[in-house]
Amino acid sequence: RRLLKQASVSVRFALWDRSWLSVMASRVLGRCVRSLSLSSVRLCLGGTAVRAAAAPLPSQRPFSLLSCSRKTRQVYQTEISSSVVQLCRRYGDQPPLTLGNIEDRVLYVLKLYDKVNPEQLTVTSHFIKDLGLDSLDQVEIIMAMEDEFGFEIPDVDAEKLMTPEDIVMYISDKKDVYE
Amino acid sequence: MATSRLPPTALTLKQFIQRQKVLGLYRSMLRTIRRVPDAADRQFLQSWAREEFRRNRGATDQDAIRMMITQGNMHLQDLQKTLQLAG
Repeated sequence: RRLLKQASVSVRFALWDRSWLSVMASRVLGRCVRSLSLSSVRLCLGGTAVRAAAAPLPSQRPFSLLSCSRKTRQVYQTEISSSVVQLCRRYGDQPPLTLGNIEDRVLYVLKLYDKVNPEQLTVTSHFIKDLGLDSLDQVEIIMAMEDEFGFEIPDVDAEKLMTPEDIVMYISDKKDVYE
Repeated sequence: MATSRLPPTALTLKQFIQRQKVLGLYRSMLRTIRRVPDAADRQFLQSWAREEFRRNRGATDQDAIRMMITQGNMHLQDLQKTLQLAG
């Protein structure tokens, strides 16, 4: 078990170190597999010995050995899969979203939209009342925001977003941005 | 107290539902068009959908609007089928 802990610690350590990521991770995984198989053998031996000492019936021995090895195998599989998931997550890297950042991007998209007059545009201006757009334009603006921020806004929420401020608040809410 | 508190230009329930249907159709149309792989085709279909919806934005006759919604749904289904066949 100590070996197992050590291996997982070293896996985490390798994950922190990004430059060595691909090389180190494969090596550490290999080491992890080897040490785990070793420790599982040891655990099995210990388990059977303890069981045998506690209840010296010969019929129970194979059962305990089986269950023991199965358990360790399960542990080993979950450990490997979780580390792989962590590995994959490191690849998608974006500049961090802040409220100001989102606002800039929203206003930028709006300025690119051909029917919006950039001089009239403010954060609080209403699309239909202040900017003179109609509901079809509003739909198009929301679709443009989906393109820009890379996620889908459901129809129910899309109808309520009527000012740039609404959009900024909605996106920061969905992306868990609070500063 | 017989006068309605709603403004005179307010939509009736039927008109409101129809409006929602049109906007929903427009939204799903644009969403489907976004999946078109070729950039030039995508641009063309986008401007086609925009023009088509915009040309009929002033329509008030409910039956005419219903016909147009049906027609739009058929176009949408065609497009979705074609996209599925294309991969």
